[in-house]
Amino acid sequence: MTSLPAIETFGLTKRYAKSRHLALNNLNLAVRSGEIYGFLGPNGAGKTTTIRLLMNFIQPTTGHATILNQDVVRQSIDIHGHIGYLPGEIALYSKMTGNQLFDYLAGLQPVKSTQYLRGLISRFQPDTKKKINELSKGNRQKLGIIQAFMHQPDVLILDEPTSGLDPLMQEVFYELVRETKARGGTIFVSSHNLTEVQKMCDRVGFVRGGKLIAEQDINDLSQSTIQTYDIAFAGEAPISKLKQLNHIKVISNTPHHVTVTVRGELKNLLSLLGRCDVVSIEHRDINLEDEFLKFYKGDKER
Amino acid sequence: MMPIVRWTLWQRRWSLLWWCLGVACLIILTISLYPAFHDQNALNQQLSQLPQAAKSLFSDTGDFFSPQGYLSSQVFYLTLPLLLSVLTIGMGSSLIAREEDDGTLELLLSRSISRGRLLVAKAFSGLIILIIVGAVVVISSVLTAKFAHINIPLLNIAVASLLTINLALLFGSIAMTVTMFGRSARIASIGFTALIAFGGYIVASLAGVARWLVWPAKFSPYHYFSPGDALYGHFGWQNPAGMLAASLILMFIAWLAFRRRDLRG
Repeated sequence: MTSLPAIETFGLTKRYAKSRHLALNNLNLAVRSGEIYGFLGPNGAGKTTTIRLLMNFIQPTTGHATILNQDVVRQSIDIHGHIGYLPGEIALYSKMTGNQLFDYLAGLQPVKSTQYLRGLISRFQPDTKKKINELSKGNRQKLGIIQAFMHQPDVLILDEPTSGLDPLMQEVFYELVRETKARGGTIFVSSHNLTEVQKMCDRVGFVRGGKLIAEQDINDLSQSTIQTYDIAFAGEAPISKLKQLNHIKVISNTPHHVTVTVRGELKNLLSLLGRCDVVSIEHRDINLEDEFLKFYKGDKER
Repeated sequence: MMPIVRWTLWQRRWSLLWWCLGVACLIILTISLYPAFHDQNALNQQLSQLPQAAKSLFSDTGDFFSPQGYLSSQVFYLTLPLLLSVLTIGMGSSLIAREEDDGTLELLLSRSISRGRLLVAKAFSGLIILIIVGAVVVISSVLTAKFAHINIPLLNIAVASLLTINLALLFGSIAMTVTMFGRSARIASIGFTALIAFGGYIVASLAGVARWLVWPAKFSPYHYFSPGDALYGHFGWQNPAGMLAASLILMFIAWLAFRRRDLRG
């Protein structure tokens, strides 16, 4: 069954004043209701511009967009009652405490359940009694996440949501995202991090130079993405066995160390490593744009 | 809207307190010195020999030692409008622009609040601050005049205070409107409004002695500001009503400019 779009853009284009280049060029996308959509791309690609257009902070040069079938410019006030927003670099009132911030925002937009808000605070455990200017970036990010989710919005627009969070809190965040999806919420999330997007999203779009250059179901992308691992062994590295495995390529090796790339599932690699005396495994960060473009190129060729 | 008003007032509570104290001290000190000045005939004669241009810079009444002349020259024509304009220009250029500079404006506008309502909430907060400081002006002027035995009806002093507050409100409205036009507008609004306020004061003050300034003086709010007349009881509603209308029109222009412009990211 195909769900109705929760977010739609129609030829959305933005040229900033005094700029010769288009920050966003004829963007057409549709995010289905209940979907988690990852919006990927390098810095300056147009991700934040798209988000700020959806939030009606900036005006489109041409084109338009709707959220829950309402125009983001003409009906922005109605729409904002259903949106949770987390900007890329969260700016909060430095002289407020976390508790004062939540009271203030709840005064502007009442929360449906104070119990839900208390639940969010207890899960993320930010220091809500200290002034915000005394908090670490991670704690400020937690406050940012809580303020975006606190009124249980139907649509969440999140720009780099896990920036500054430690791995434990990232997991808490992913869990919250899954719960939001389970109750029918739609999430539009921008990120640099393909691994994170793979964990969270149903579908991803890749934007570069202001243009949406590809969209893909996350399962297809995961199966095609090449991951690189550095593996150290206590004994001799099983080079020949590794070379025999499907979808695994040995890039370099020494007697006790090997670097391999894996396309798709890790099952075969992990099964072999389970029988060896492994000292460490390190996952190398992947170049998001290269990987995505590699995938996209392959898809085109198919 | 009320949470924004409450928070804005809370943020500015200490500066408001200092403004109230400062303005009250200035008025009490200046007016209470009148008995020491008004019998100084020698000084009065020297000041009366000043060129008309110099006299018109400090007073709209032309005299300095009558009760009305003293209050106008020492409080209501120059010092108080100058002080209150600093307050309102500062507020007009920062109430929304500072939130935009700090990035917290996006946090507010991501909620179900229209830009118009935000503008009204911020302007209302500024107005409350001006009313509080204005109330201190009225109360301290009237009470000190009474204790200093200045023989002017207290109503006239209150009216002169209100005219001054009205003038400062206009300058605040100009500053707020300019900030609504976007990038770098905060600094521009301070400069532009200060130019209108202080340049306008000089032009309007000197228009009586330099004929070529008569026409440009008509564009200065000071041309329509005559606290000395109010102190003498010659008071008309047209000019202050016009100034108030100008403030409201400026707020409407501010809304037009703000409602569809790109926020700084």
